[in-house]
Amino acid sequence: MNNIYLPNLVTIEDIYEEAPDVRSFRLVFKDPKLRDTFEFKTGQFGLYSAFGLGESTFCIASSPTRKGYIQCTFRKSGRVTGGLAQLSIGDTMGFRGPYGNHFPVDEWKGKNIVFIAGGIGLPPVRSVIWNVLDRREDFGNITIVYGAKTVADLVYKEELKHWEERGDVNLVQAVDPGGQTPDWKGSVGFVPTVLKEAAPKAENSVAVTCGPPIMIKFVLNTLLELGFEEGSVYTTLENRMKCGVGKCGRCNVGDVYVCKEGPVYTAAEIKRMYNDF
Amino acid sequence: MADKILKKAGLGALIESVTGKGGRFVAPTTDSRQVVFKKVKSAEEVATDYILARNSFKEFLFPQTEVVAEFTMSKDSVDMKGVEVYAPQTVVFGARPCEAASLAGMRALFTWDFIDEFYTKREENTVVVTVACTKGDDACFCTTVNLSPESTEGTDVYLREAADSYIVQAVTEKGKKFVETHAAVFSEGNAKAEPLFMPEKIANIDIAKVSARLKDKTHYDDKVWARLTSKCIGCGACTFVCPTCRCFDIVDEGTAFEGERRKNWDSCQYDTFTLHASGHNPREHQHQRWRNRFMCKFHFYPEKFSSKGCVGCGRCIRVCPVRLDITEVMEEFSK
Repeated sequence: MNNIYLPNLVTIEDIYEEAPDVRSFRLVFKDPKLRDTFEFKTGQFGLYSAFGLGESTFCIASSPTRKGYIQCTFRKSGRVTGGLAQLSIGDTMGFRGPYGNHFPVDEWKGKNIVFIAGGIGLPPVRSVIWNVLDRREDFGNITIVYGAKTVADLVYKEELKHWEERGDVNLVQAVDPGGQTPDWKGSVGFVPTVLKEAAPKAENSVAVTCGPPIMIKFVLNTLLELGFEEGSVYTTLENRMKCGVGKCGRCNVGDVYVCKEGPVYTAAEIKRMYNDF
Repeated sequence: MADKILKKAGLGALIESVTGKGGRFVAPTTDSRQVVFKKVKSAEEVATDYILARNSFKEFLFPQTEVVAEFTMSKDSVDMKGVEVYAPQTVVFGARPCEAASLAGMRALFTWDFIDEFYTKREENTVVVTVACTKGDDACFCTTVNLSPESTEGTDVYLREAADSYIVQAVTEKGKKFVETHAAVFSEGNAKAEPLFMPEKIANIDIAKVSARLKDKTHYDDKVWARLTSKCIGCGACTFVCPTCRCFDIVDEGTAFEGERRKNWDSCQYDTFTLHASGHNPREHQHQRWRNRFMCKFHFYPEKFSSKGCVGCGRCIRVCPVRLDITEVMEEFSK
């Protein structure tokens, strides 16, 4: 019997503390054959199990250009993520996926790319960032605008440092007003405002954004004000899911099932959707 | 030409014939003074004087809870195995034409690119024997959604009641095979069918208009939703008795060392159903959750799966503790 709810077993190969209560797992499939054959596209997601507690949905935060493992990043907030947070290197968990559509990175050759992320919205964008950076010569200017509530809440601190130091990425970091520390050198302000100030060029550019729903709504507007075309602005909706395969009935935005017809949408598609995310 | 006849007195023989071959026989039976679909072993248990079973027979295709995987955990690892679907040969006897019509939508959903064999295998092993309605009540509105006691959508074997027998019509190949398999209990004869109960079509409802209104996104933030449905207390009873509602949750049950993963019924009427980990909830208010259920029935199912999301059985109306009547909302959206 083909059981669509049966996860694959994965081993936690490494754990990275990203921010308070936020951590990343580097995961490898236990099945050596699957380790070699597993493929996904940037923007796809999976269901991750803490056995005995259940499943949670996260994007795949690593890039498909990095083979042999997948990475996920999550915030400890409920029963399943609380259980995952207790696991150690070498422990076993479950993974089902990859599910959903993806960012059409291949169509962006020769274009400038602007990434805008807020808080724990960086992980899905990170997959695209590394995908693009691993084939850097295919693209024009790369800008990353990333903000979090406080300095401590910024995730992937090591990678932010790396992106800042490499000469071919324009990184703008920000924290919400009140979230700065005395030695904070980045911007202070909410992500849509910081994006407006950074004013990346809209011409020949695509934008990719993810963050809290309210941030996404404002960022989409800001991008359109900056002259970006609706069809060149992409976001990924991280709605609650249980099955991931279009059955369980909770991820729909109006009549659009995020797990099947998303999670990646252009601003033009979002505009056609019901105002319900 | 003579009709194919099942004598009412021969129902026991049919049950024996089915169960004797290892099948399960599901029929309306009286339990705690309510008529409900249950597995029965004898004709004495089968209720004959009923409008509609309180539950839908969906739970024999899509159980309230079922194990999809089992696992054991040790210090070093986890062993996990999938579970085979429990899909015995099943006869659902005494379904009504309305609820039988729910099967096309359920199948479309459970086979939408990813095939959920827990549903499909069970459905494939089930023969739906429908008994056409000779009575009804004010909650029945099948004719308003373009069905009727004469419709055979989803039915394998269609029965019309006569005085002491049923007139048998095998609708599908599965139905024909069923009649052949249990040929001994059927006979040839003539009987006069009792008149059917035809619910009056609700004059102010135009189902095509309802769907067209829902397709036009301007309704979405209309105050009409809150006005009509704010009294909903979110108990979810309507979703559990509905033959087309199929939302579910996936949860783990067990101890620190072993457990199972289960697929459990859930309801889009619950406030935690769409709640994000961040605290954000896309359907924060009850009327938004009610709107989702209504749209699922009259927009998503017809648009996405070209099938019926509402079959007009009226169960949700009968069971609602605050008397929220879906036909009132249908009327509003027919304007």
